Amino acid sequence: MSQWLTQVIDDAKRVDDFLAPMRQQALSKLQTQGWPHARSEEWRLTPLTSIKERTVEASSAAVNYNVPQIKGLNPIDLVFVDGVLVTNLNDISLPTGLTVYALSDAPSAAQTKITALFGHVKPTRHVFGLVNDAICQQGIYIEVDENCSIDTPLRIVNLATKDCDAHTRALVNLGKNSQLKVIEHGSGSAASFTTAFAEYAIGQEARLEHYRFAFFTGAAKQVGGSHFSLQDKANLNSTLVAYGSELSRLDVDIIHAGEHANAKMNAIYLLAEGEFFDLHSTIEHAMPNGTTEENARGIIGDRARAVFSGRIHIHRDAQKTLAELNNRNLLLSRRAMINTKPELEIYADDVKCAHGATVAEIEEQALYYLLSRGIKRSKALVMLNFGFIQELVNDIDNENIRTWLSPMLSERFASMEVK
Amino acid sequence: MLKINNLHASVEDKVILTGLNLEVKPGEVHAIMGPNGAGKSTLGYVLSGRDGYEVQQGDVSFKGEDLFEMDIEERASNGLFLAFQYPVEIPGVSNMEFMKESVNATREQRGEERLSATEFLKKAKEACKQVQLPLDFLKRGVNEGFSGGEKKRNEIMQMILLQPSLCILDESDSGLDVDALQVVANGVNSQRDSTRSFIIITHYQRLLEYIKPDFVHILADGKIVKTGDASLALRIEKEGYAFLGKEYEGASA
Repeated sequence: MSQWLTQVIDDAKRVDDFLAPMRQQALSKLQTQGWPHARSEEWRLTPLTSIKERTVEASSAAVNYNVPQIKGLNPIDLVFVDGVLVTNLNDISLPTGLTVYALSDAPSAAQTKITALFGHVKPTRHVFGLVNDAICQQGIYIEVDENCSIDTPLRIVNLATKDCDAHTRALVNLGKNSQLKVIEHGSGSAASFTTAFAEYAIGQEARLEHYRFAFFTGAAKQVGGSHFSLQDKANLNSTLVAYGSELSRLDVDIIHAGEHANAKMNAIYLLAEGEFFDLHSTIEHAMPNGTTEENARGIIGDRARAVFSGRIHIHRDAQKTLAELNNRNLLLSRRAMINTKPELEIYADDVKCAHGATVAEIEEQALYYLLSRGIKRSKALVMLNFGFIQELVNDIDNENIRTWLSPMLSERFASMEVK
Repeated sequence: MLKINNLHASVEDKVILTGLNLEVKPGEVHAIMGPNGAGKSTLGYVLSGRDGYEVQQGDVSFKGEDLFEMDIEERASNGLFLAFQYPVEIPGVSNMEFMKESVNATREQRGEERLSATEFLKKAKEACKQVQLPLDFLKRGVNEGFSGGEKKRNEIMQMILLQPSLCILDESDSGLDVDALQVVANGVNSQRDSTRSFIIITHYQRLLEYIKPDFVHILADGKIVKTGDASLALRIEKEGYAFLGKEYEGASA
């Protein structure tokens, strides 16, 4: 057992609210499972030592902080600073059809819905997910009414400004035939540990446009996840963009719980220096006629290391599933590293699936081609190696997000050295 | 323009060029023909500076300067252009972005101002029309999914935009139908003037019907073994390389 986990379990035992039954379940699982074994398939490539030996630092909101802005987006911001919700929900006006509660403040009708969602989309195998279940008291519940289309994007911000443990939660319910755009935006470089988990129940024919920006860098450690369940004809379009830090790990689960659901997920990671980023995605096709398209692409420089584990699981009843999973990586130095594992597990016989992973070094032929046209070497490297990332950026629906991300990512890439 | 003196070069320890001499003056068009494996493409790569092509001996001066002192990109921005036999596909980099960067790098080298996006677009559209490619080819990834002929036309379009002083065409005619061949030839002819020089590497006399060369050289075993005028190309077309001597009998024209 780890000293950190022991302490967290002790602290969690003292939490008493309407979620108590779920917290109890999580606690007993944590106690039986304990700290992940060094050889556990789920965690063996993730450097957890710094957390294992960590002393719990209670969270408290910082006074000075800057919420990163995305020009032109004008979202409804729900801001957690060092694990504390600092947005006063009474101060924000919400469009008709959209409801937002703090978990600690939810009226009893909402509590019933929260209880039905909390820990039900996110799988229970995830140790830090269980920790979050057991101890997280800072969270929000978001609901979109049936047939409501919310144009204003909603942004859930997690900022790390000092050394503390931050546990936050978002629970999002999309009613039948509703539409919502959600951005989960994490940022900060202070030595800290954040677990930020979000669960989404996407109702029949509802559409969710989702973004997760994991811009924790330096000593800011995070383990978190975004988990989605899709009902009949539901639609998910998710884009994940990550930098790396001492420890950065995200788990994404997409569960086709209804028929004819469509999921698209693009992930981009750009890792510099000694950064680490780990993405585990699991797509569960439990029902027939669903589609999944997943593209994860990363550039890994210097001594950085990335882990990609992508699993598509097609259950016996999930006939006529179309699923594609692809992971492309570019290593910029001899010491950069990627562990990639795309996996297809198929139990239905009438499905169309494809998966693949590639790891490339600088394409000498393409580089020569650009140089032979007079383009400077440094510029050519950016053009070439950024292209496959830019493709995914161009694929982003929201223009403001595209315009914000594109120069930011190319600048980060340009600063990464090719060795 | 270009003076090659006793050039010896190798690829992966295999000696390909064995003492090649060639002088190209401004405004001249030189055709280089020769059997497979003679070193024709190697010559283009060595001149452009491709990695892995090693020069063992000899020197090349380009516009009076030592070519081998220049990096690949310097040679290009100084006016050396190689139209590739097999242009590379680069998905994710748009043709437009690529050519704009390339034209502007060359302009900067010459001390000229960068073109604005609109200025460049105008030029690019004209060049695109000239080589008879649909305008959406500007937006597509560099050579991505282009047919063989479209790739060759894309090369010529770049040549037109870059306005180089020395153009080396490496089998720009291979795999082209008659229409595409004419487009390529017209592209080249439109750029001919008293200052610009061309080296046209080809297997066939066909292209030379459209682009009239001042000199035809035969490259065999890594050096130029015979030089003549346009009629030499016709003779090769008829007789093959057999007249060069016994060892070339059977070599395909």
